Amino acid sequence: MLKRTAGVPPHAAEVRLWADLRVAFFFIASLLLLSAVALPGATQEKAAPPQPAAEQKPPAASTEAAAEPENNQPATYVGSETCESCHEDIAKAFKKNPHAIVGTEKRRGWEGKACESCHGPGSKHAESVSPTDIFNPAKAKPAAADRRCLGCHAGQPTQAGRIQNSHANNQVSCVQCHAVHKNGPNGLVPRTPVAINAQCKGCHNDIWASFQKPFRHRLPEGAMSCVDCHNPHGSALPRNMAVSFANEPSCFKCHGDKRGPFVFEHAPIREDGCGACHEAHGSANPRMLTRHEVRYVCLECHSNLPNPQSAQAGLLGGSPPPAFHDLRSPQYRNCTICHLKVHGSYVNRSLLR
Amino acid sequence: MKRIGFLLLLSLLRLAGGAGTLAAQQEPKPAAAEVKPDEAKPAEEKKTEDTAAESPSPAAEQWISGNIDFGYRWRSGVGGNMQTYRSVANYGSGPKLFGADLLITDPKSRLFDTLSLFATTWGGDPNQTLRVAVQKRGVYRFQTDYRDIAYFNYLSAYANPNLSLGSMMSERTYDIRRRYLNSSLELRPGKRIIPYLEFSHDANDGTGITTFEAQSNQYPVNNRVWDGQNVYRGGVRFEMNRWHITLEQGGSTFKDDNRTYWSGLNNGNRTTPYFGQNLTLSNLNQAYGIRGSSIFEKVIATAAPTKWLNLYGQFLYAEPKNDITYSENAQGNFLLLSALSFYGSSYDTLTGAARQPHTSATFGFEMRPFSRLRIVDSVMTDHYHTASAGVLAEQLFFTAANVQSAITPAVDRLVYNYNQHEVNAFFDITSKITLRGGYRFVWGDAQVRSSTLNEPLTGPFESGELRRHVGIAGLNYRLSQKLNVNFQFEASDGIRTYFRTDLQDYRKANARARYQALASLLLTANFTVMNNRNPVPTVDYSFQSRTNTFGVEWAPQGSKYFSFYGDYTRSSLRSDIEYLAPQFLNWERSLYRENAHVGVGMLEMKLPQLPGAELSLGGSVFISSGSHPSRFYEPVGRVVLPLRKHVNWTAEWRFYGVSDIFYSYEAFRAHIFQTGLRFTL
Repeated sequence: MLKRTAGVPPHAAEVRLWADLRVAFFFIASLLLLSAVALPGATQEKAAPPQPAAEQKPPAASTEAAAEPENNQPATYVGSETCESCHEDIAKAFKKNPHAIVGTEKRRGWEGKACESCHGPGSKHAESVSPTDIFNPAKAKPAAADRRCLGCHAGQPTQAGRIQNSHANNQVSCVQCHAVHKNGPNGLVPRTPVAINAQCKGCHNDIWASFQKPFRHRLPEGAMSCVDCHNPHGSALPRNMAVSFANEPSCFKCHGDKRGPFVFEHAPIREDGCGACHEAHGSANPRMLTRHEVRYVCLECHSNLPNPQSAQAGLLGGSPPPAFHDLRSPQYRNCTICHLKVHGSYVNRSLLR
Repeated sequence: MKRIGFLLLLSLLRLAGGAGTLAAQQEPKPAAAEVKPDEAKPAEEKKTEDTAAESPSPAAEQWISGNIDFGYRWRSGVGGNMQTYRSVANYGSGPKLFGADLLITDPKSRLFDTLSLFATTWGGDPNQTLRVAVQKRGVYRFQTDYRDIAYFNYLSAYANPNLSLGSMMSERTYDIRRRYLNSSLELRPGKRIIPYLEFSHDANDGTGITTFEAQSNQYPVNNRVWDGQNVYRGGVRFEMNRWHITLEQGGSTFKDDNRTYWSGLNNGNRTTPYFGQNLTLSNLNQAYGIRGSSIFEKVIATAAPTKWLNLYGQFLYAEPKNDITYSENAQGNFLLLSALSFYGSSYDTLTGAARQPHTSATFGFEMRPFSRLRIVDSVMTDHYHTASAGVLAEQLFFTAANVQSAITPAVDRLVYNYNQHEVNAFFDITSKITLRGGYRFVWGDAQVRSSTLNEPLTGPFESGELRRHVGIAGLNYRLSQKLNVNFQFEASDGIRTYFRTDLQDYRKANARARYQALASLLLTANFTVMNNRNPVPTVDYSFQSRTNTFGVEWAPQGSKYFSFYGDYTRSSLRSDIEYLAPQFLNWERSLYRENAHVGVGMLEMKLPQLPGAELSLGGSVFISSGSHPSRFYEPVGRVVLPLRKHVNWTAEWRFYGVSDIFYSYEAFRAHIFQTGLRFTL
């Protein structure tokens, strides 16, 4: 491994990248073709169910008119009882749903109109019994569905980071995770670690594969869940990382002994985070390290020579270990044998104790 | 712990016995811990399976519902390395509460509307969890979450300089219990003004092995780990129709009483004498007394001043600080390398302090000037520095009359400033296609103590800069509810990075597709590829990772007879980077390769002749080649047979197997068999 070898030609990685993109493109194209064949009606379906006026006003605050049906007669609110006459089972289950409280809310004018608070005025739908005459968030554009939910929920702290959230940016709407009709305390969204992980895995099955490696956080066992580390609604930190305290990475919520501040910090932990050395989801390497041997984790950074080239590159720290670190001796191949306080030391600048 | 688990089991049994007579007629429900394939689907997909899914059955009117699962587990003799088994799986034999998921409803809403309790694997297992949530609508919501996780790590190949000599003792081991408690209380949920309180406690307690470093030798010694932190927070949320603001004040306390000790002759890792003398340790007492505290503040605001504009902002501040006392008393025969002389004992003390004021702020808006166009802009800034100082007093006892003392002050500083500005535009070409284009600029600077080795305590500072321009493109295509394709691409031209392995010139692409081919068949595919390069001479970093995942979920006839879900992932990672071999300062190349196949699947069958009976077969497999080839198998088989109306017999077999080609002595295999009863209320 120590032998110097010819590296990958500079263009080879680029070639592989485009090869991967081609594979992805052909797969998606195949899916589209397949769907076009399998769903002859799908391509001809109407563009979208007619939606209520883009920003529907609550009945108490405005007139009853909201939607713009084709015959120019505005749909009106008919009340949940009318909905219940056809959707009896949904209505009964809905009474145990956290959203049932909407039907008692006078503040926004939804009293007795819980169904229409999300689906919009239902008079046209009640007359025609056509699904195209009612707004269905599950079938609407993600942004339109989100706007409907955020009509009430925007003023909540969970939505603070939503705007820069990758879920929102990738058109994953609220209703893709939240089952609005489902009843019971865990109905709206899973709340147990096993169920939360299963929900996230539904889309992120590539990440779930990392948890099948031998060294991992204990998510498959149900000891933790994805939301222990990630905030699905958005975060001030990249990758939807949840924060602990006010603005610290959520890693420190459980690994408090690594939070510091230390008298002698190890800069990469502060500036690149735990991911500089660890694969947080799972790894084939002990301690979830990014490399199979500790020395490579260290030496890949600790190789800067104090020369103009390094300075020009703007690279921080990382000077090579002194010459007496002869890697031919097993003693020096295990850096953390001596530099045991590798996360930061209260006593020694070289992180020796 | 087993006794507590047994008592808890008895209590729950009594509760189940009492409740069982009161429980109304209800079909048995599957345990919450056993996730059915359809639970993994987003709500949208579930709804498409059939229209009945949109009409969930109402819950039966009863005051308690749920299930309790308990029984006994046997573990076979572990073949291979027991320490690796404990590092990876660590399940033992004994009576267990496998799971409980209870919901108590008070129809009169006297003290609460609902009380839910969820518990998993109590009885000495490595991951024990308990969650209780109580709420009364509009009055309060209380939730507490307790976890007790065993952290055992003893891999003989890891951090073992004497492996070639046949020693199988890792010098970095842990046998720790990590306990985590989080409780939160929210008052007046759903009202305009919502006060809330939260408390969390995290503690580690256990033992391990670490090393004591004394210049030319290192000694494996006992380690006692004992640290913990408490976090308190409270605040109030004001939630109005068009705006919201949250004000929060919190604080934390931290202590770390890590202790290292040894008594007796310890020859350390050096196997040869130094100038004719053995470097030995005979006694060590090393104690850290770290006491820390922090205050933190949070202000979050959101607003929707018009129909076409949403605003949000956050201001976050934390100021952790630690006071340090440290003492070390060591006896033996040590070498002072700078003087090439031997000393018999040393006594060190250090007092110090460290602070880290940390300020973060974010601001963003979403603007919808036209119905098809959305512009999203966000700015983030994050600043902190660590300012620390300490005084180390060292005494080296060469002889009774020859004592060398030194007092060394140390002042250190780390400065970190990070900023990010990202703007994205989303354009709905049609109701089914959304295009995304964006730009992100990341910039910052950092200052650290130079890592030159000549002046270890007072060396100069050095600065680094971060400059990265990132272009973003995306496409979302929703042919119908049945097909959703999302594509995202990022390309960066990094000008400055802090470290050699940071993202510099990178390309990252991700494509996801979900296709509901039939009402009972869902196909998914994920492709992720990332390519990073740093062409600076003496770095020449090349990194590429690829992950391709295909998934299938098949539940014909609404899982009436069987259902299947499975994922297959093919991933590869290759990394090449130059590094300096210290002994001759010659350039070498660090190569890392990982090619992996991962399979996860489960086939669940229902026996039509026996209503309520289920058989499940599946598990996971991980096979990798490359720098650290290894295999990890975890097949599982499970059967549920109804005994009575509310009682099922459950049994599960699970196999853990790890094999490692380079470190074959770390392989293990173990069978786990558990059986028990499930009471459904």
